[in-house]
Amino acid sequence: MLVLGIESSCDETAAAVVNDRREILGEVVLSQLDEHRPFGGVVPEIAARSHLAHLDRLVAEAMRRAGLGFADLDGVAATGGPGLIGGVIVGVMTGKAIALASGKPFLAVNHLEGHALTPRLTHDIGFPYLLLLASGGHCQLLAVEGVGRYTRLGTTIDDAAGEAFDKVAKMAGLGYPGGPAVEKAAAGGDPARFALPRPMKGKPGCDFSFSGLKNAARLLIESLPQPLAEQDQADVARAFQDAVADSMADRVRRGAREMKSRWPAARHLVVAGGVAANAALRQVLLRIGNETGLEFLAPPLKLCTDNAAMIAWAGIERLRLGQSDDLSFAPRPRWPLDPNARKGAPNTWKGAKA
Amino acid sequence: MIVLAMDSSTSACSAALWAEGKVLARRLSPMARGQSEALMPMVAEVMAEAGLSFADVGLLAVTVGPGAFTGLRIGLAAARGLALAGGLKLAGVATPAAVALGVPEGERQGRNVLVAIDSRRDELWLQLFDSALKPLSPIRALRPEQAGELAAGPVVVAGDAAALVLPHLPHAAASAAPGHPDAALVAELAAEQWSRGESLPPEPLYLRDADVTLPGKTVSEKTVSEKTGP
Ligand SMILES: Nc1ncnc2c1ncn2[C@@H]1O[C@H](COP(=O)(O)OP(=O)(O)OP(=O)(O)O)[C@@H](O)[C@H]1O
Ligand SMILES: [Mg+2]
Repeated sequence: MLVLGIESSCDETAAAVVNDRREILGEVVLSQLDEHRPFGGVVPEIAARSHLAHLDRLVAEAMRRAGLGFADLDGVAATGGPGLIGGVIVGVMTGKAIALASGKPFLAVNHLEGHALTPRLTHDIGFPYLLLLASGGHCQLLAVEGVGRYTRLGTTIDDAAGEAFDKVAKMAGLGYPGGPAVEKAAAGGDPARFALPRPMKGKPGCDFSFSGLKNAARLLIESLPQPLAEQDQADVARAFQDAVADSMADRVRRGAREMKSRWPAARHLVVAGGVAANAALRQVLLRIGNETGLEFLAPPLKLCTDNAAMIAWAGIERLRLGQSDDLSFAPRPRWPLDPNARKGAPNTWKGAKA
Repeated sequence: MIVLAMDSSTSACSAALWAEGKVLARRLSPMARGQSEALMPMVAEVMAEAGLSFADVGLLAVTVGPGAFTGLRIGLAAARGLALAGGLKLAGVATPAAVALGVPEGERQGRNVLVAIDSRRDELWLQLFDSALKPLSPIRALRPEQAGELAAGPVVVAGDAAALVLPHLPHAAASAAPGHPDAALVAELAAEQWSRGESLPPEPLYLRDADVTLPGKTVSEKTVSEKTGP
């Protein structure tokens, strides 16, 4: 089974061809980072224009790399949301058109489901498993019970983790995107110099919160001589990263215990989203996995951040169950994975997501 | 030559199959939004109604604006996807020219045609054609009260912003034509322009820089008022 995947929900334009033997046959990703960098965030209209300008060429290139024609496909999958709607529309229309012209089923994939099913593309694992999705727009703990079956155990009540990294980096003069910059600076930081709060630590449940920590970091930064000296930047970055890791450790530990008690068959703790790049966080997750009896799995980084292979894979998972979508599918700016989760998902700097 | 045409550039959505002066099948609905849902089913329906496959299509045509940015991207993403997977030739057609073709010949006798398209800003997109629909001006971004600069004499006005300019033009008449393009006429125009080698590339005519708005806050807004298009 062969599926073409298309991703255009944020600032990456991507196309990939994947088969049901878990092989990525052809893959292209174009980052818009440089187009948005001057504005310190993703500008929706610039993103939408750029997706349209490049997507058809990227699809052609992914097909060429796979050495396949459209007639060889079994389906065409595109991110149908959640995300910046202008970009989602470009991907959905391109996917519908390719599906119609080649007479194949169309699949509108939930971007979050793409992230959630990635561990089954990279590893031969079964359901259920615990997923930490920590990206620029999301921070959630999900019980992945099956294709289309998710229970949200916890979510951020304000900012996403990646968003907090980005904002703190900006305040500290470390640039955009912030995650990698904070991690790099933190490597030379003194862990004992500053103490920042550990949001939610010890609270019941496994929701996250990062905005209080972000504000504490802001006050700390403002109390230092401006612009920040390199060592001050490093020490602030270290204090912030340690606080995030510590808060996450507490939340994920609770999530893992809840997972084990409600889904005793669960064997794995998996991470997805760009924040998974952070080595300190990976260490924490590995430790919690060991503590709670869940094997920690981290897909390679390029499959943790936005990519089209995960969309193609989610398409394969759904196609195998006989699912597909109508050509009248309406792109969805918001699309929660767990429709039963209580309302109150945050509005992030990338727009309301899920 | 069989032409498949689509439009979602303004406040309607349509798809049509056309060959040598005859409309083989057509779907059209006025709609301000929802083109991303309506367009592909319309294309599938006209293909099925005409009993044709994409291999039979000699030219694919799509309106490229100016118009609503999201609508332009809906039509162009669909057209570029169809062209890629169907191996089709693809021609862009300017939205004002397609609207002008909808103005009945009787209304044009001895008068120029002014097309006014909504830009969702203070300035509209205006273009003037002669009675034979030859363009007399580029597409210009003007406020309604500036329409007289472009159309001083007798003129018939069409387009979804016609009502906004009519009060400012003493010698103007309102066209009975619908204010939006019709894919059947887009097909006709595309065939003619293709044969003369005058098709536009399948790229959006935004004619205005992107608004630099991050969700929740406006950093700055750059509006380019005097950019002109074909
Ligand atoms: N080494 C790192 N440490 C911490 N955060 C990081 C690191 N590398 C990247 N990030 C963060 O990951 C985020 C980007 O991840 P990703 O591309 O998965 O998010 P997104 O796709 O933009 O958001 P979403 O999927 O929610 O729409 C950014 O906020 C970035 O700062
Ligand atoms: Mg993502």
